[in-house]
Amino acid sequence: MDRPILIGAVAYDQRVVPIWEGMRDYFREAGMPIDYVLYSNYDRQVEALLDRQIDIAWNTNLAWLKVCRRTDNRCRALAMRDVDADFKTVFVARTDSGIQSLADIHGKRLALGSADSGQAAILPIEFLREAGVDAERECRVSRFNLDVGKHGDTGTSELEVLRALRDGEADAGAMADSTWIRQVTEGRVDPTQVRAIWTSPGYCHCNFTVLEDFPEEVGRNWTGTLLTMTYDNPRWRELMDLEGLKRWLEATPEVMKGYDSLWEAVERQGLTRNWPS
Amino acid sequence: MEEFPQPAALVEGGALEVGNGLLMLLREAMEPLPPDAVVAVRASHPTVAHDLPAWCRVMAHTYMGAASGPDGTVYYFRKSPFLPIATEERPDWGVRMPRRDNGELHTRDWMVGRVEAVPDRATTTTGFAPRGAVVEQGAPAFDFTINERSAVWAAEVADLYEQATANQWDASRDIPWDRLEPLPEPLERAVCQLMTFLTENEYSALYVPAKFVPRINPQFNEVVMFLCTQMMDESRHIEAFTKRALANGGGLQYSAASTQLSLKTLFDQHDFTSASFLLSVLGEGTFLDLLRFIETHAPDPVTAEICRRARVDETRHVHFGMAHMRYYLAQDPANYEHLERAVRERAAFMQSVTEVSPRVQEALAILAAGGLNADRLPEGLAKVRALVSEMHEHRMRRLLAAGFSAEQAVEISRLHTPNFM
Repeated sequence: MDRPILIGAVAYDQRVVPIWEGMRDYFREAGMPIDYVLYSNYDRQVEALLDRQIDIAWNTNLAWLKVCRRTDNRCRALAMRDVDADFKTVFVARTDSGIQSLADIHGKRLALGSADSGQAAILPIEFLREAGVDAERECRVSRFNLDVGKHGDTGTSELEVLRALRDGEADAGAMADSTWIRQVTEGRVDPTQVRAIWTSPGYCHCNFTVLEDFPEEVGRNWTGTLLTMTYDNPRWRELMDLEGLKRWLEATPEVMKGYDSLWEAVERQGLTRNWPS
Repeated sequence: MEEFPQPAALVEGGALEVGNGLLMLLREAMEPLPPDAVVAVRASHPTVAHDLPAWCRVMAHTYMGAASGPDGTVYYFRKSPFLPIATEERPDWGVRMPRRDNGELHTRDWMVGRVEAVPDRATTTTGFAPRGAVVEQGAPAFDFTINERSAVWAAEVADLYEQATANQWDASRDIPWDRLEPLPEPLERAVCQLMTFLTENEYSALYVPAKFVPRINPQFNEVVMFLCTQMMDESRHIEAFTKRALANGGGLQYSAASTQLSLKTLFDQHDFTSASFLLSVLGEGTFLDLLRFIETHAPDPVTAEICRRARVDETRHVHFGMAHMRYYLAQDPANYEHLERAVRERAAFMQSVTEVSPRVQEALAILAAGGLNADRLPEGLAKVRALVSEMHEHRMRRLLAAGFSAEQAVEISRLHTPNFM
């Protein structure tokens, strides 16, 4: 390519700017200049990728599925963060609720994050279903639909789930394990009041998405360059801390199986009905 | 049951949870382990099964699984390959400052371990980290502009700091204010004029180091700390001299434009060594003679005691200035030219100033004469003239001790401001 590769990202937080300024510095110094465009929501970014306004989209799992569906799988993922490959959802419950397993959530008050959050809404419904609980019919569900369009990236809805549990407005709730463990290690959770009761199998979260005709070799070079960014180089450590990773991973076919569970959940919950085709 | 490798460390977590102490035990145990070492932790609390793997995931440790045994569940993970802090260096451990025979712990004795390594050139990215600490890479650069050791250092600086902290005094309580008696008006006026003059000079002696402290790299912390004692000393002198002017029926008197010009040329110095030379070696050095003169001829015990105490403090500042000059000139004798130029440039700025303010001269003469006494005024004036030549002689002696040649000393002393400071 005779111009910088253009990457789209969603501005879910102020820190997105320093992250992408850092990425731009990194790729320029590596001799493979990039530029970036920020969008306010993932649907806008998906449209931009499909319209070829950007070359690569830094997508959530739900945005990835939307691209797959819109292109009839004529797309591929290049890379992701280490934490995206084995992402997990935890269910947490009030200690006074008597809940010790997913089955115990039957008939209880359940708090969920934004409706478009894979980790805090879509997949939790699926995990409960697998445990024999039809959450929509058998639980009193409170949804915190905050920052819809950003696919749960802001984390605000997950913090609301935790607040609802703390305030006794809900008995159980679901969120990303990374959100949960940060709250625990930062001392914001009283373990006598709220604790984790179940951890999901791993699944995939974000990835760098390109359309099928994005040149193979450019993609390989770009991914190779990204993968050489190391956390032990202080120059990039801050950027990696802001983005919440320790290393970048290649999106191998094996790793990409981690999107299957969300696909199934989306289909079963009929969410694709509202997606443009 | 799954087999795990022999762990490099086994942490007994008891009933602790991840959020209430288990991580602290883990960090302590993991600190000395190499990357990829296997760590085992035995923990009985059920939440550990969820929270430990989640913590491993965000920290890039590789969670391996758990084995239940009769003494609880043992969890296994592999330590992250990444440095927890971005540095390959390790901090000191096992250093111990020597204590003095009387049990005291002196600043000059803290040159142990990594602290001893005073850099010849400090980097601005060590920021406010104390010298000797291990500084993580990637810290922001600070705007320190004085990063060369030779620009500030003095071999005796820690000793001088030690003396300074041991000799602080209290201008409200350590001065015999109750022994102040009414004086004849000309004498009181002379004292008040001198107190006014001393105070304005002390302001410059406070503001000059104050201007440099935020520019000096904290790797040279002994210098910064010494300058802070100097600033505190000057502040106390300002307090004491002002109080004396206000305490006995007189008041603050005139501040001459020529004095302000002289002090401003000092305050306008941009280079620490030049400023230190002009202020401490030449200015404060000259002030030692002035303070002794006022002390000797003081008409009251309060004025004498204030000047005596201020002189002891100023002697330390002069010593620091001289020690710094010795260090600076020892790096390169050609540095002399730099100092000479500073003196010459300052002199050129104040050609209009040919003598210390007449009111100050007269006040000194009145003190030396014991009052506005016609019989004794000529003797008083003669003593003032003797003081000025004594100042010149002593300046030369200090310049020689600081490492200047006799020829250089004569030239510099001659060019020094007639305003004393």
